[in-house]
Amino acid sequence: MVHAAEDHADEDHAANAGTDARTVEDDYVEQVRREIAEEVQRRAATDLPPRLERELDEMFMRHSPLGSGGTGLTDILRHVDAAVFIDPMVPVESRRPGGVAVKRGLRSLTFWYQRFVTHQVSTFAAAVGRALHVVDAQLTGVRARLDALAPPPSVVIEASWAHRLDAWWVGTVLEELAGTARAATSGGAGRVLHAACGDGWLVRALLERGVDAYGVDPRPRALTDEEADALDLREEGVADHLEAVDPGSLAAVVLSGVVEGAPLGDRHRLLVRAARAVGPGGVLVVHSLSRAAWEADDAPLQADLVPARPYRPATWGTVLGEEGLTVTVDEAADGRDYLVRARRRPTPGA
Amino acid sequence: MKLAFVTPRYGRDVMGGAEAAARQLATHLSAAGRWSVEVFTTCALDHITWEDVLSPGDSVDEGVTVHRFASAAGRSPAFYELDARIRVAPRQAEVALARRWVELNGPVAPALVDAVAASDADVLAFYPYLYYPTVMGMAAARAPAVLHPAAHDEPALYLRVYDPVFEGADAICYHTAAERRLLQRVHRVGQVPQIVLGLGVAEVAAGGRPGGEVAGVGDHPYVVSVGRVDEHKGSAMLAAFFGTYKERHPGPLKLVMVGPVAATIAPHDDIVLTGAVDEADKWDLVRDATVAISPSAMESFSLVVLEAWEQSVPVMVNALCEPTRDHCRHSGGGLWFGSYPEFEVVLERLCADDTLRRTLARRGHAYVQRYFQWPRLIERYSRFLTSVCERPRRGGVEVPVRSR
Repeated sequence: MVHAAEDHADEDHAANAGTDARTVEDDYVEQVRREIAEEVQRRAATDLPPRLERELDEMFMRHSPLGSGGTGLTDILRHVDAAVFIDPMVPVESRRPGGVAVKRGLRSLTFWYQRFVTHQVSTFAAAVGRALHVVDAQLTGVRARLDALAPPPSVVIEASWAHRLDAWWVGTVLEELAGTARAATSGGAGRVLHAACGDGWLVRALLERGVDAYGVDPRPRALTDEEADALDLREEGVADHLEAVDPGSLAAVVLSGVVEGAPLGDRHRLLVRAARAVGPGGVLVVHSLSRAAWEADDAPLQADLVPARPYRPATWGTVLGEEGLTVTVDEAADGRDYLVRARRRPTPGA
Repeated sequence: MKLAFVTPRYGRDVMGGAEAAARQLATHLSAAGRWSVEVFTTCALDHITWEDVLSPGDSVDEGVTVHRFASAAGRSPAFYELDARIRVAPRQAEVALARRWVELNGPVAPALVDAVAASDADVLAFYPYLYYPTVMGMAAARAPAVLHPAAHDEPALYLRVYDPVFEGADAICYHTAAERRLLQRVHRVGQVPQIVLGLGVAEVAAGGRPGGEVAGVGDHPYVVSVGRVDEHKGSAMLAAFFGTYKERHPGPLKLVMVGPVAATIAPHDDIVLTGAVDEADKWDLVRDATVAISPSAMESFSLVVLEAWEQSVPVMVNALCEPTRDHCRHSGGGLWFGSYPEFEVVLERLCADDTLRRTLARRGHAYVQRYFQWPRLIERYSRFLTSVCERPRRGGVEVPVRSR
């Protein structure tokens, strides 16, 4: 068992509990949770009667959320194991006078039959359970191998010289988006999404120009709730967010520091989702570091960690052209980064 | 500026749930003085029958103008058969069938919907997503519509009849980030302006009696579970788990279940059902508990968890309930259980370890102080509503239900 962190934790520390950087108490509570999990595992060969354990499991799951289904196949198999034994001893409780005696008599008379049938059902269920455990073990092995092969998750590339209001590409984008959003607003789809939005620097600038913008960023945000509310900034994965966006519902999507930080498969899915989120006449804007910046001595740290290089500017026409967008690429004078603007054609007659 | 809430039940006597949350928000917003607040609701108090028990007409409830309308129909007996049919695969249920489900679930209140359509409010707040007044009212609304889904992972959430309700809202106000994650898994609402707000915890109004005295358990230590004692809220499961725990851990520990009883709980020497109690008794009961347990897997917020932390009582929650588990994870103020063995180990540990209880309680209390105080929440909500009013209306909700 762990020793309490209480001796080390003063009141100021407690007042910040659960909200700031990790504290001694965070570690303590985490350690307790681990110990509880270990103790539950240790008791896995529980001494609970099988029927009781099954009843309790069924009660727990009866009103569980649809999406839960436990925490995985191993968990669900625990419920299967608990349900394998079919009890031939039929309950004899009764509220009627003499009911218990009658039921007990019937049970005695039919017990040989009940036992024969339940034994076969239990044997079959146990065989199925064993087979499922083999499947679970094999899946666990496959998952472990896949995990080893899987690329690291997408990361946000932070390039402070490029992700700021006075960067060369931002003025062009602000001007274009103001026009796009105004045109789209009259059709009902006027919002602009910026990812990864950081502290909301671009969203703020768009709002100041009358563009209805919001932002998402997977990195833990350093803003207060009030600051995030004011700009509608959300702490969410970019791909997950785009999956939850109604296709064609946005006037524009701006991706900065996002695409070059995604492994190739994830990158393609991300771009397809972003392109489909943009409505007719809308625009997908991608700001990316170039391969030259990626290879430079002052490249962001993540450049070494992402198993892919930035696309070359010419590649974008092919990638986004397949999604029906018309692509323009502008490169920085120093060749360190470039801007892609991919526009979806307006609906004919709109 | 004027805000109108649309909710199927409203009043001091509405226990728990989204409608009580709506009343808290309305009352606090009205008291803050910057918004004129009114409510469109039915004459019902019971969410099963929707029977008209209050008089139709206008009244004032703690500064909030309440417009009540009689229902044309409550919940139909035919609802249950249809519910059983579509809950097996709700996403596959035909829209027409789902429309029928909404009507049979009630309360069908066309006069309420007409009043919503004619409202001069600057913004309308619909709370929760599930019922006819929201589904029909949002379709009829002329002012911007803010949806407070109060959603949890239940079959109804997957019905396609709700797609236009969620996706057509002008803005969404969530109770928790977990609720937002859930909604975004099921409906395409990422682009809708939104806020994660939650609810505030009322000031402690304890009566000063020992909790054991209120519960009738004397000096025995006890764990407490506050809320409607209902099969769907996990109450029967909790009673069974606790009964088993006591068989394996004989001792003085009691379970006190506080709230109106809507489930059959087998009599047990160590389980006390208080029934509904007044606020003072509730706070007394919670304050002196060893642990507060929230057994429900179907919460979108769970005020009772925060109220326990407000009184520095550690909590145990159902591991399958994402919002309450998130509260525990983010605050470090509670533990969760996902099976009987886990329930047993967690309760054993909490009962035996004073230091752990104090640590969890302190962290839970700090979390409530930091995030769930009404003045701050009302300030955030007020700004959010203002931004909704200033934004052009989105496409609006297409009529998903025919009135009968």
